[in-house]
Amino acid sequence: MTDNANDPGVGQGESSAEDASAPQVTESGTGPVKDHGVLYIGLDLGTSRTSVSSSNGVRECIFSVVGYPKDHVAQKLLNRDVLVGKEAVEKRLSLDFYRPLQHGVLRNGDPKSSKAAADLIRAAIDLARPRKDELIYCVIGAPAQASINNKEAIIEAARESVDSVMLCSEPFSVAYGLDMLEDVLVIDIGAGTVDLCRMHGTMPEDADQITLQIAGDAVDLELTRLITETCPGAQFTVQMVKDIKERHSFLGDTMERVTVNLPVDGKPTQFDLTDQIQASCSIIVDPIVEGLHQLVSSFDPEFQDKLRSRVLLAGGGSQIRGLDTAIEHRMVQHLGGGKVIRVEEPIYGGSNGALKIAHDMPTKFWEDLR
Amino acid sequence: MKLAYSTSVDQLKKQGVNKVNVLGVDRIAMLIQEAVKKSLRFRLLALDREEVASATKEEFLRLLKSNEDLEKQHDELKSLKDQAEAQIDELRLELSKQQSRLEEKLASAASAERFEGEDRDIAERITQLIRGLTESGKTEEVPSRVLEFVMSIVGDERRATREAREAVRDKEVAVLQRRIEKLSASLEQTEHRLSEVTAIKHLDQGISSVYRKVQGLDLEDRAYEAKTALMSSIFEANVRLQGK
Repeated sequence: MTDNANDPGVGQGESSAEDASAPQVTESGTGPVKDHGVLYIGLDLGTSRTSVSSSNGVRECIFSVVGYPKDHVAQKLLNRDVLVGKEAVEKRLSLDFYRPLQHGVLRNGDPKSSKAAADLIRAAIDLARPRKDELIYCVIGAPAQASINNKEAIIEAARESVDSVMLCSEPFSVAYGLDMLEDVLVIDIGAGTVDLCRMHGTMPEDADQITLQIAGDAVDLELTRLITETCPGAQFTVQMVKDIKERHSFLGDTMERVTVNLPVDGKPTQFDLTDQIQASCSIIVDPIVEGLHQLVSSFDPEFQDKLRSRVLLAGGGSQIRGLDTAIEHRMVQHLGGGKVIRVEEPIYGGSNGALKIAHDMPTKFWEDLR
Repeated sequence: MKLAYSTSVDQLKKQGVNKVNVLGVDRIAMLIQEAVKKSLRFRLLALDREEVASATKEEFLRLLKSNEDLEKQHDELKSLKDQAEAQIDELRLELSKQQSRLEEKLASAASAERFEGEDRDIAERITQLIRGLTESGKTEEVPSRVLEFVMSIVGDERRATREAREAVRDKEVAVLQRRIEKLSASLEQTEHRLSEVTAIKHLDQGISSVYRKVQGLDLEDRAYEAKTALMSSIFEANVRLQGK
């Protein structure tokens, strides 16, 4: 990272960047004086996980779940009004449990879910451990096809904790973070949605983006169905299925069988779930390749080849072993070939990109949105 | 390269040296000054020679003084070390004496002498009792009176043992009570520390950003123009969204 604020031209040709970019006393009266520095935060708000990258070196990831004590007893015991992330998962039996995002967007119409979303965003920003005397500028990667209402709700929730906030499309932030802005197809596999985005040097428009509902959660559901069908008597929860998937998911050939212990009538019993896991993971491949086909075929024919050969695989779901190869094989059939590249940090790809956008955003833009 | 080393008069004698010449500091300084002057004579002007020679002498004396200070410090440290070693020796001696005393006390407490004395006393009293009864012609009472006497001794011993046990128990209770008091105090202190730590947590100032000032696109970025346009697009979309 470069501390280039002293460069006179930084911030889109501002005549005196040093003066203009210096942190200002932001609030008069009771508010804190924000003259210590500027903290940039990149946030990737996901259905399953929310990741944070910030310019003080903090990188954190939490489960996108929020819980509130069910009753006074639970509240006394937990000694907290709100629990977020792993802690909420662990204590979920004592909590009213919320996953505020569904299919990649905030659940509409449920006030409790809106509150949970606000609490989740607040907790995620707190994870960055911002100082009170620093300006906080935050970019949030929002689902590509989130509604205006949804985006407004996210902005409102974030405003409580930051000085200025912007939203951008999640797949775009992944590509921006990797400096791959031209002739790239981004596949961002989340729990709620798979976002496909075509990058061609300008801001992607609606026609450049496709959101698929068959994503990580759909794989969980399919795996649940297959286990129910093939493992008589096995007892399990959605969380257990999710854990199994995250640990063992794969596509293609495997050398070793996947065996898992599940209770049957209270007794741990070993089950071979190799075929079930492979079958459930495979359900996302065809829709992705169909989406890729749609985005490639509607692109300038001269550049289609370039686009096919730069397919970027990101998001938590991209950690399925063999997924890149499986997509490539299917692309041979549908698109005559292609090259899929995995991002190095699937969990933090979105938040790192959002952080980079925040860093590169000119001072004036941040000021105007405060 | 080692220019000087320490030796003793005895070692020199062993090497067959009976007489040594001693050079004073002033003499050494003068020799060095002369050597420096000679080496610089044909290279520098007279004025420079004087300055260099003077500076060299000054530096040499400063180093010498510094060396003397170090030697002095070394001597002081050695003296402190000797004192500490003497103290340790004294403490070891004292500890050894205390251990001996303790062993003596334990040995005397456990000695069988006390029991031997008591046994002798009991045997003497029984002998006297039998003799008294025999002399008074009450030989038929001997078994019952001896039994009565032995039972009274056993009763006394039992009472003494019970009292000793109770004393030990009382002592244990007292020790436990003291421990509880200590634990309570410790707990109180820990709670106090915990509240302090909690207060500190609330005072957590967070982690500073690496940036003191707002950044922006690097002019050197090879995609500066494209990224500027993208930033503008994101900003405009957010202006529309946020109604600014």
